[in-house]
Amino acid sequence: MSETWMIAGAWVAAGLTICLFSFLYKDNPFFKIAEHLYLGAGMGWWFQVYLYNIWKPKVWEPLMAHDWMVLVPAVLGLSLVTQFVPKISWISRYGFTFLMGYGAGLAVPAGLSTDFINQIGGTIRPLSMMASMTSWAVFNSLLVAFGVICVLFYFFFSVEHKGHFKKVSNIGIYFLMIYFGAAFGNTVMARFSLLYGRFDDLYAFAASKYLYATQFILAGMIIYFAVHGFLNRGKKEAEAAQ
Amino acid sequence: MLKETLGKFFKIDRRWIFLLLAVVLFVPIIKPIGLPNKTISRDTRHAFDYMDKLPAGSFVLFSLDYDPATRPELHPQAVAMVRHAFQKNLRVGVVTYIAGSTGLIQQVFEKVPAQYNKVNGTDYVIFPYMANAVAVMTQMASDFYGIYDKDQDGRDARTLPVMRGIRNYKNMGLIVCITGTSMLDYWVAYVGDKFKVPVLGGVVAISQPGYGPYLQTGQLKGLVGGMKGAAEYESLIGQPGKGASGIDSLNLAHLLVLALILTSNLILLIIKYL
Amino acid sequence: MKLIKKQIPLAIVFIFGVLTLGSYYVPHKLSVDYIEMMNKWENIVSAFAFLLGLVSLFYSHCNKISRKTDGWGYSIFVFAGFLAMVIPAFLNNGKQSSAAGVTMLGWAFRYVYNALSSTMFAVLAFYIVSTAYRSFRIKSAQAFVLFAAAFLLILGKVPLGQIIWDAALGWTGAGVDQVIEWVMSVPAVAGKRGIMIGISIGAIVTSFKIIFGIERQYMGKD
Repeated sequence: MSETWMIAGAWVAAGLTICLFSFLYKDNPFFKIAEHLYLGAGMGWWFQVYLYNIWKPKVWEPLMAHDWMVLVPAVLGLSLVTQFVPKISWISRYGFTFLMGYGAGLAVPAGLSTDFINQIGGTIRPLSMMASMTSWAVFNSLLVAFGVICVLFYFFFSVEHKGHFKKVSNIGIYFLMIYFGAAFGNTVMARFSLLYGRFDDLYAFAASKYLYATQFILAGMIIYFAVHGFLNRGKKEAEAAQ
Repeated sequence: MLKETLGKFFKIDRRWIFLLLAVVLFVPIIKPIGLPNKTISRDTRHAFDYMDKLPAGSFVLFSLDYDPATRPELHPQAVAMVRHAFQKNLRVGVVTYIAGSTGLIQQVFEKVPAQYNKVNGTDYVIFPYMANAVAVMTQMASDFYGIYDKDQDGRDARTLPVMRGIRNYKNMGLIVCITGTSMLDYWVAYVGDKFKVPVLGGVVAISQPGYGPYLQTGQLKGLVGGMKGAAEYESLIGQPGKGASGIDSLNLAHLLVLALILTSNLILLIIKYL
Repeated sequence: MKLIKKQIPLAIVFIFGVLTLGSYYVPHKLSVDYIEMMNKWENIVSAFAFLLGLVSLFYSHCNKISRKTDGWGYSIFVFAGFLAMVIPAFLNNGKQSSAAGVTMLGWAFRYVYNALSSTMFAVLAFYIVSTAYRSFRIKSAQAFVLFAAAFLLILGKVPLGQIIWDAALGWTGAGVDQVIEWVMSVPAVAGKRGIMIGISIGAIVTSFKIIFGIERQYMGKD
């Protein structure tokens, strides 16, 4: 890629990033423009990915080679789009029912074996090997089993939570709180990582080889807010004086 | 008097907090602190050991399913693990089920293979994006080429040297899924569990606690979590990268969050009991 | 009319649902072939589902522009962004890099889509921090447990935090990473397992409801 394109790219990326960040100070037209660009670009990206990875190689090319089987899913897929015309929107049901039937049929065995049976098995298996485990491992396995049962008590809403039932489900809540606390800690870390990534890019674009993109755009944004604030204050004072 | 000042401090305009966070994250980028990684977490260690023990020439399937939103955490992981695979002379195949990944996969394979003199088609191959992960994963169990007959550049996959002897999961040594979505769950449920293929995971920090159950039961052989996981893996392969440098910024940012929570609760306590 | 509008779609759900469910457990070649064909079909149909979102978006923004409602100028940028991605794709045939280096599409991805997408999510970090300051009230024992678990994880995952822990609690002989490992592999696992089991039961019940036609919301109005 030529030098000019890289520099242009740096300015575009830094500009879009700073426009989006400017929302943190105040809502402004630059943010709105960047936001709408994001909407369009996101859809555009996905469109071209689907075009070149699915529609062209899996529908168009087989049809050109006279493989007519591919017409069935293509027609089912197109039927989905009829949803927008109220008079014939019932045709879209064919597409949806195919997707739902396939999806539901696939979800049952996977959910059953991986999330249900294996998790219960994983909880109970250590208890059956107790003879060969250290006392600390035994304690941990018992704690996990106890915790899982308490949490399941909490989620059992068909029976009213009172008395001893309530005590057990309260213990379940504590286990859930520990899990949520751990998840929150990780969320914080994840978001900061993302933000760090953006700042790293901005710092890279502030180098002289990109003609100080970050500095100029940031300065421009600050000047815009200053002028805008000044003009607005003037307007407010004029209104107050009236 | 104190109550009023504290009250005002509590209701501070949140834009000051934004500025504080921005400064705290930006400063280490300009001037790194350089604190070394003290410990390697157990799951990252397991992931490293598993790939390390594979014999040379084994086939590793990388499922790189992350997009720009999760790039800072997962990209360093992908780079470190691909580097490790090349270091051990393993054959690498790449698939993806997220449309936004294709550009990022390009970036990984722009520079890394050249470092180890690895050639596209002979030592590694990149397959095009496919829309329905679960369907494709199930298909690969019987015949890989039923879905992936051509690679990203349109070459016939069966003729490539890197794919010699590979027909389905039975011929693969390992599957590594690096993702910010629930793609890893699909690999474990529809492939690892069903066809008894070893699976390693690379995930964002948010999702990490959720995989505890899978690691315990052995459904996952190892897990690299977030930027810290990337930094740990980088130190294990002896090649520091973006993971390690990001940790410095995160250091201060984390302490800032804790300080803010403690401060706000302290202020409320004081206001209540004064 | 009712036959093709209602009965046949419901029959389709039932047939495909039962066949797909059964094929997971049946090792016969027919079932493997069936699942292979279904996989290919699903691939194609779900790609068309994307068109729904696209048409809907274009329709709403076209409306805004033609009626000149408030802020209609911004809707033009939606189309500009769309074209910024699609035109390079057409010119480069969907390839992001070629023998000559990075293509127009690759450039658009790296400097436009990448920048926009990551920044949108990164902005959330700021809101997390300000909300943590304003709204994280430790009012009950349960909230305290939540905070303690979060505190442990946030502190222990960075080297500075580990050093602080060692300075304050080094005498207990338990490194902060060991405590975090224990928390993540025992209590957190119990909580997550309970949730997973609950969710899987819900998913299985809903799937059966869909297959047997009891749950029909997705079909829309009659």
